[in-house]
Amino acid sequence: MSAGILKAQGLCKSYKNKEVLHNLDLEIEPGKIYGLIGRNGAGKTTLLGILTAQNTKNSGQVTYDGQDVWENQRALNDICFSREMQATLFSGPNNLKIKHYLRSAAIYYPHWDQAYADRLLEEFKLETKKKISQLSKGQMSMVTILIALASRSPVTILDEPAAGLDVVMRERFYQLLLEDFAQTGRTFIVSTHIIEEAASVFERVIILDEGRIIENAPTEELVDQFRYVSGRDDVVDRACSGLQVLMTHQMGRHKTVAVRGDAVRLAAEEDVDVSPMNLQNVFVALCGHGDAQ
Amino acid sequence: MRGTLNDQSLIYLQIARMLEDDILRGVYQEEDQVPSTNELARGYNINPATAAKGLNLLAADGILYKRRGIGMFVAKGAEEAVRRKRKAAFYNGYVKPLVKEGASLDLTGAELLDMITQAMKEEKA
Repeated sequence: MSAGILKAQGLCKSYKNKEVLHNLDLEIEPGKIYGLIGRNGAGKTTLLGILTAQNTKNSGQVTYDGQDVWENQRALNDICFSREMQATLFSGPNNLKIKHYLRSAAIYYPHWDQAYADRLLEEFKLETKKKISQLSKGQMSMVTILIALASRSPVTILDEPAAGLDVVMRERFYQLLLEDFAQTGRTFIVSTHIIEEAASVFERVIILDEGRIIENAPTEELVDQFRYVSGRDDVVDRACSGLQVLMTHQMGRHKTVAVRGDAVRLAAEEDVDVSPMNLQNVFVALCGHGDAQ
Repeated sequence: MRGTLNDQSLIYLQIARMLEDDILRGVYQEEDQVPSTNELARGYNINPATAAKGLNLLAADGILYKRRGIGMFVAKGAEEAVRRKRKAAFYNGYVKPLVKEGASLDLTGAELLDMITQAMKEEKA
């Protein structure tokens, strides 16, 4: 499937007087699965909304295959942003039924695959005449996932697809995603708070922190830059001088720090333990800002 | 191959290591085809690019080789190559930590060597 590059340059976005995205640049290359992670309020959904021309921006530019995406049917034909379902719509319950969502998706997305949608409906045991407001949180996520997958859009974006799904369904979701990716090689951007179980699925990870992209890198290369170093406090301090220390945890004289840089050699040079971190640990170290102790 | 990825090391390294284990164990013999990128991706729920990185690492070490359009195969002499590679890593990965732990327990060199001799006897029996 041929897809273009989705590119944001100098994006700024404010709600009232509060700027939530600060001069942000991002490039999404075709044929990769991206993970987008960030804390609550980091600006993930706002960013995804702007990338897909569903939300306005104050300044900057979003292009797909070199064309501005705003009100650009040709570009938007290739892009699907399957948003989280809401149980309420305007001021009342969301009385639209699953079939209404499916029908409009079939009209809106030119690559829509009805047979695939039917297969997923059956697998997820969803009844199309049910109202959205009657669905459980997990079922709402299933509708979001179904629309995203069946859209067959060259660039497909899922916002928190794992929220509300039980662990069996989450695993199944990542399986479906990888199966689809193996067949089509389309681009996916998946935002999630359940980081660790998704880490192995993401070829690249984008970390959004307080409206800025602080990392956009191959997942394993990023994770491999970080280590925990622990031991007696003065030894740890000596060993880690010259390295970037992101987080410190002290219990008595025992100190553990999260460092970025060449820490593997330290275990041979000093009496400290050096252990690897996972993506979730790295995320907390980079975005914790002292909230996690 | 092992059913799950569970340690903290990088996934592509785990994939490479699992395949090496299987080559040592004779699960895959010379000229056998190993699982493809997509099979590994599906089997372990990992990104195909990660699986490919693991396979390519073994290809670079001369343990696997690629047949265009077909897949990856176990190279001639792969078992020996895995053994050589593992032996090179054995000193740093096993011997040094063993000696370090022994020293922190105040074990003498003689005691450590006795234990190794003992363990070797048990392994044989």
